[in-house]
Amino acid sequence: MNLAIQPVLLPLLTAVALLFWGRPSPGRRTFTAISAGAQLVVAGFLIHLTYTQSPLVMPMGNWAAPYGIVVVVDLLAAIMLGLSSFTALATILYGFFEASPRIEHPLRLPLVQFLVTGINLAFLTGDLFNLFVAFEVMLIASYALLTLEADNWDVKQAFPYLAINLVGSTLFLCGAGFAYRLFGTLNFADIALRARAMSDDPRVTALALLLLVVFGLKAGVFPLYCWLPNSYPILPAPVAGLYSGMLTKVGVYVLLRVLGTVLPHDLAGVHTLLAWLAGATMIFGVLGAISRNFIRGILSYHILSQIGFMVLAIGLFTPFAFAACIFYIIHHIIVKSSLFLVGGTAALLNRTDNLDRMGNLWRQTPLLGLLFLLQALSLAGLPPLSGFWGKYAILVVGLEQREFVLVGLAILASILTLFSMLKIWNAAFWGSSEECEVCVWDWRWLRMSQIVAGMVAVSLAIGLGAEGVFRVANRAAIQVLDQEAYARAVFSVTGKGAPAGP
Amino acid sequence: MMGPQSYIFERLVRVVFFLVNMVALYLLLRGHNWPGGGFIAGLASASSLILLSLALGIAAMPRILRFDPVRLAAAGLLVAALTGAAPLLAGRPFLEHFHTHLHRVPLLGDVHVGTPLLFDLGVYLLVVGIACKLIFVLAQSTQGLRALVAEEERRYSSPLEQPLEETAGPDDGKERTDAD
Repeated sequence: MNLAIQPVLLPLLTAVALLFWGRPSPGRRTFTAISAGAQLVVAGFLIHLTYTQSPLVMPMGNWAAPYGIVVVVDLLAAIMLGLSSFTALATILYGFFEASPRIEHPLRLPLVQFLVTGINLAFLTGDLFNLFVAFEVMLIASYALLTLEADNWDVKQAFPYLAINLVGSTLFLCGAGFAYRLFGTLNFADIALRARAMSDDPRVTALALLLLVVFGLKAGVFPLYCWLPNSYPILPAPVAGLYSGMLTKVGVYVLLRVLGTVLPHDLAGVHTLLAWLAGATMIFGVLGAISRNFIRGILSYHILSQIGFMVLAIGLFTPFAFAACIFYIIHHIIVKSSLFLVGGTAALLNRTDNLDRMGNLWRQTPLLGLLFLLQALSLAGLPPLSGFWGKYAILVVGLEQREFVLVGLAILASILTLFSMLKIWNAAFWGSSEECEVCVWDWRWLRMSQIVAGMVAVSLAIGLGAEGVFRVANRAAIQVLDQEAYARAVFSVTGKGAPAGP
Repeated sequence: MMGPQSYIFERLVRVVFFLVNMVALYLLLRGHNWPGGGFIAGLASASSLILLSLALGIAAMPRILRFDPVRLAAAGLLVAALTGAAPLLAGRPFLEHFHTHLHRVPLLGDVHVGTPLLFDLGVYLLVVGIACKLIFVLAQSTQGLRALVAEEERRYSSPLEQPLEETAGPDDGKERTDAD
């Protein structure tokens, strides 16, 4: 039971310790790396526990649900915790190899740890208001990281991110107030039990639509994604890797949680709307990617396009679709953040990531080219890489439900993804010109590529061991959709205050 | 940014400073069962410091305070987090609190004490630190905001080099190499 709170407590204490430590130094870096490794171990243990046993529930301050605040770790939450700690560890190590401690910004590591605190709290929380708190912790840390090493141009690009997310937070608060008025509770399990009787109440649909706007904004669903593609490219490569991997996926996770565990399952209109918005997100995201001609810009738009696939799976709303969505999240987080890291390494070697002035990378650094190729083809969805299985499962569900237009859009988006990845490949890796110098003497790229190679290995393992990963995802999906079992797990924990039971 | 110094204002603030902090302490202690608590007490204390900075000038504040607001906030966060985490060691849930009654304490009589006061103290320190930091940065900035003022930069950075790269990126923002 005590383990459930560690994914929040460990990064929080690390961040505070780093604030006291002050100056960047090798010792401070070692400490951060050890802490990030410990977080990964804890998350792995949580996955093991929740896979073999029932969800872990911890009542904060020993006040039992529904009046107290509970932290709930089920299999999906544990998987997300594992992914966030893995991405955080990889990007932190990458950042160490990228720049020496003497030019590191002293606030970057503490802010990354605060960001991880917020992300993990969003996965753990068992009520709507704490979800809002987690979003705020995450967003405030992300505002600070976004503008920490920024120049005037960057701050201008970061402003829409701040403005739109503030609007989103306000709407979220309105949604939480609305939910409290409607159900008289904010606890997920309690809402699930009380909402079942009122599923034909139009106010529940209205609440679902309001929450859809809020979480769609965080996830970057069409037409609310305009904050993302211009703000992510201004980040330094390691931080961009963490952002691209985790932040929008918190929105997807919350959509899974709220539509699957909290709200009644028969909101068919909301689900259909979500599926069509996802179709639009896929197409517009990938068209945006084709229009860009620098690596980070292309990759930022690809996040949106991929979000479309995950949200489409949620919109199709069957247990198998949920499993496909969870598999896709697992695949996407690792592939996407490693691609951003590859992009950072390529930019280091060519001293630019403008595709017009890049080239010669395949000839001089075939290792990096191979890493890029594997991840890019995985993103586009070629077998047997991990992206193929996720897309395949989603398309199967789509065909089963006879959503031929959406399936067609998804296939079109995949082909265009392949096209825009080939654009990077042709310009930066395959293309050769006399003017482009490749700074292979800059030894940092080797260590950075090793980190990426580690991530690629994990990603390959997901693709080749797709059967096993899918089994885990399937189990997580069934758990997410089983509102009875969730409520039973939450209310079985006793504490001070209310007697157990709804 | 400072206008001419006002003798009356300065003298008055020196008195009001202590009054406000007395109120803050009162709010902190009564917060367990009545309106009050660490957050509002922290805001009261921070407003007393802001009054002081209006009377004496922002530039004088680091000399008077002798603490780094960010580290004060970090200390508060540490106190609060450790108070929350301490029950974990005994196998109790996170954030559980314990109370006891002390009977016939000299001068005070019967007192009800508990660990929530420690947690509130952490919140208090956090709020004082963050509010001071925010106000001082905003008051000092005439040309854009910086995360660290020059003095803090010296404190955090290694002595050999500037901590921040001062190279301005090119105007289209695409071609900045990430680090070199």
